[in-house]
Amino acid sequence: MTFVRDDLRPLRRRTALFLAVFALAFAVIAFRLFSLQVVQAPTWRKLAENNRLRRLPLEAPRGLVTDCTGRVVMDNRPAFQLLLFPEEMKDPERTVRFLVQLGLADEGEVRARVARARRTSHLPSVIADNLSWAQMAAVAAHRADFQELAVHPATRRAVPAGPAVAHLVGQLGEVSPAQLAADSRLRPGQLVGKSGIELAYQEVLGGVPGNLVVVVDALGRQVSTLDEEPPKPGHPLALTVDLELQTEAAEAMAGLVGSVVGLDPRDGAVRVLLSEPSFDPDLFAGHLEPARWASLVADPLKPLQNRALQALYPPGSTIKPIFAAGALADGLRAPAHSVYCTGTATFYGHPYRCWLAGGHGHVALERGIEVSCDTFFYRLAYEAGIGRLAAWAKRLGLGERTGIDLPGEAAGLVPSEEWSRRTRGHPWYAGETISVGIGQGPILVTPLQLAVAYAALVNGGFLVTPHLVPGGGKPPRPTGIDPAVLATVRRGMERVVAGGEGTARRLASLPVPMAGKTGTSQVIRKKEGVKWQELPWEQRHHALFVGYAPPAEPTLVVVAVVEHGGDASAVAAPVVGRVLAKAFGHDVEISTPQLLLANPHAQPEPTPPGARAAQVAEVRP
Amino acid sequence: MRRLDLAMLLALLPILVCSHLLQSSTARALAQPAYASRQLLWLVLGVVLLLVVASSDYRLLLRLAPLFYVVSLLTLAAMLFLAPVRAGTRSWLVLGPYTLQPSEFARVAAILAAAALAASHQRELLAPRTALQVTAVVAAPALLVALQPDLGVALTYLPILVAVLWLGGLRWRIWVALALSVLVLAAAAWLWYLKPYQQERILTFLEPDRAPAGAGYQQRQSRIAVGSGGLTGKGLRSGTQSQLRFLPAQDTDFIFAVWAEETGFVGSLLLLGCYAAVTYRLFAIALAARDRGGTLLAAAVAVVFATQTLVNIAMVVGLAPTTGITLPLLSRGGSSVLATCLCLGLTQSVWRLRFANL
Repeated sequence: MTFVRDDLRPLRRRTALFLAVFALAFAVIAFRLFSLQVVQAPTWRKLAENNRLRRLPLEAPRGLVTDCTGRVVMDNRPAFQLLLFPEEMKDPERTVRFLVQLGLADEGEVRARVARARRTSHLPSVIADNLSWAQMAAVAAHRADFQELAVHPATRRAVPAGPAVAHLVGQLGEVSPAQLAADSRLRPGQLVGKSGIELAYQEVLGGVPGNLVVVVDALGRQVSTLDEEPPKPGHPLALTVDLELQTEAAEAMAGLVGSVVGLDPRDGAVRVLLSEPSFDPDLFAGHLEPARWASLVADPLKPLQNRALQALYPPGSTIKPIFAAGALADGLRAPAHSVYCTGTATFYGHPYRCWLAGGHGHVALERGIEVSCDTFFYRLAYEAGIGRLAAWAKRLGLGERTGIDLPGEAAGLVPSEEWSRRTRGHPWYAGETISVGIGQGPILVTPLQLAVAYAALVNGGFLVTPHLVPGGGKPPRPTGIDPAVLATVRRGMERVVAGGEGTARRLASLPVPMAGKTGTSQVIRKKEGVKWQELPWEQRHHALFVGYAPPAEPTLVVVAVVEHGGDASAVAAPVVGRVLAKAFGHDVEISTPQLLLANPHAQPEPTPPGARAAQVAEVRP
Repeated sequence: MRRLDLAMLLALLPILVCSHLLQSSTARALAQPAYASRQLLWLVLGVVLLLVVASSDYRLLLRLAPLFYVVSLLTLAAMLFLAPVRAGTRSWLVLGPYTLQPSEFARVAAILAAAALAASHQRELLAPRTALQVTAVVAAPALLVALQPDLGVALTYLPILVAVLWLGGLRWRIWVALALSVLVLAAAAWLWYLKPYQQERILTFLEPDRAPAGAGYQQRQSRIAVGSGGLTGKGLRSGTQSQLRFLPAQDTDFIFAVWAEETGFVGSLLLLGCYAAVTYRLFAIALAARDRGGTLLAAAVAVVFATQTLVNIAMVVGLAPTTGITLPLLSRGGSSVLATCLCLGLTQSVWRLRFANL
């Protein structure tokens, strides 16, 4: 190879051309840099921020709820939520498959939750709360594959007292669109009170959620905290309820259907508020599974209903002291006025039977209450007419809401001629008045209303507003009933327990003196000569008892209603007896005819939450 | 020394400083502190090599080109059988803690050989036969590299061919024939050589929203890094895209994005300007060369250097598909730094000897 000095001009010409081409290319790159870094910079900067910043909601721990002695009714425990960041989801189908494999819920539900999360795409959504350790481990193991998912510490409502207070404390649920619109402090997906104390005192217990802005790296790991706005925890709330009595009532009502209400007659403070059957309040501590919800709703025993203030029953004989007080106060009866009971009385050409077939003989007012003579009260009703019966019932608070600080209370029904025409479309039948006289027919009360009415009978004639928080409720309203009248009625009620013929005399053996009134309300008309034990469960009468103690200066009124309990003195009175005895420091065992009460709808215990999740040992995406 | 092209060295200095700063930044993000110090060693060695080669006589090296070429070809061929498989290719020779990439040095040999071959032909246009020889000389090592397989490096051989053939001069009919054969080759490569992920890269480039989370992820993150740098950048070692590792291959293919994010438009324009200045000096040397061999050698180096720079940055700013072509002197990798310094040293030799007598 030799190198000869030759004409380099064509070579240099072509080289210069190359130089020009590259100069142009450098210019193009420079222009592109200008467009990216100067013109479009804000857009890219926002994308970079989205890359690295995550806004996490910090739920406010809800307030602690205690009973009247400071025992914990409801607090919080740590739990772990699964958050979904919809914007980071690469393939929703793949995410859904993973979540289903985690065992969070069935596929339809998971799909619905993911779809809902995508609607509020700028914020993370809670896909599941209360993750098990296995689920958390599975999410952590697949963090690189599913960067849209994050396990987030949170608190979860814990109700140590369990099903005994389920209706009282109520349920949490996801905030509704209407609530969101009304209160700017609420967040989508946030849990708020939906019933019970949780709803009534949402303002107190709720707190204000906070925010956490964290920097994450490309693998979704939190690198640092940029900004933290801590949540404001909810305020604590002390209730008037006595957890010990509540638990005693629950034990006494085990296996039964009905409710127990305990009230301090002096001011209306609620000591016991129980509804059976109940449910595990933990089911409602987080985001409820629709399947669980559906099974609770479909249960024929309606476990979600708070029977203490939502169920309506004919009061049966428990209405008798109320009418007795009315009759005495209005002068329709003197305490000594006596009626002769043969076992049957005839009004408007129809026979009305007393519950005691042989009759009670001469019955005055006090004994009428003691033996619960129907004939005495048939006669009273006949003379008073429906108008006055209704007035007496209303004077003691029946037919209207008590005003308790819990949502969903029923108003009950006190009938009138006008009510009959308007609601039923036919005139009031005179014979119905006679039935109403013994608490049957179209007169309906809630257990709570009964408790309020009896409180007025024993507190000197004041209508109290039942309340769950000390100092709550409106001031007691006087009914204007003369103390002497009330004294007469109370003597009758003392004889119910203490009297030789008292319908609840079995309670006389208890260490705590008490008084009260039994009541049996018909579900269907009882056939002659059939014992209640032989009837199918659904056709048995409801058993009621209202008791109070001490008889002289009562500090506690307790109502027990046992649906289809059959016999008030054998079934309902012992429940009240146990609760009253407990309130005054005595543990008593009173056997209720449990075997006879077996109801056909009794269901096995639901699977405890978490049991299913625990089965997920290993999950692959 | 005094007869070296100081302008080029002046333009190189900021690039070398940037290189070290960036390697420290990414080494921190990747938690690999050894990367930065090792790269600094390569840079120092590179500068020494540059000066050594600059003080040699390029004409002698051009005469020895066939020897270098044959040695490099044999090495590349042996690589296919002897080199260990790393990251799916047989591209590296392992020497203790260091690895060498012979394909980088073979490219220098190919430049020398192609330039020597074309320079030996003194007419205004290359004879078709010489053109074929040049093509074969460049294609042979490129094919061996492609077989490793290392498409990114193999592609960097292509500018040599274009540069030497264009500078040597061809009839337009031959250019048409070449263009057609390139098309045929490209089609064949698409069908038989490219792996699905490589095909996906090209499709993604042509249609950026095709798969934002898949193959488009790298390019998207790169553009976010560059764009979010804004006018003045986020500050050295403060780039969120790189420090939080959203940016892939930040120490190699996408290193320019780190610089653009951390120093903004001002910084990236300065760095781009340095590369442009080096490119300009390379062409200036080619134009000043005293003989055909020097011109061809310097121009080929200029074209290879500038093409690699432009294709890499174009990829970073989303103007070219992801190819795996690194940015000379900035991307991490000792062989690349040394080979680049070798080339730059050759052109310095051309510059130094531009007035020398025969």
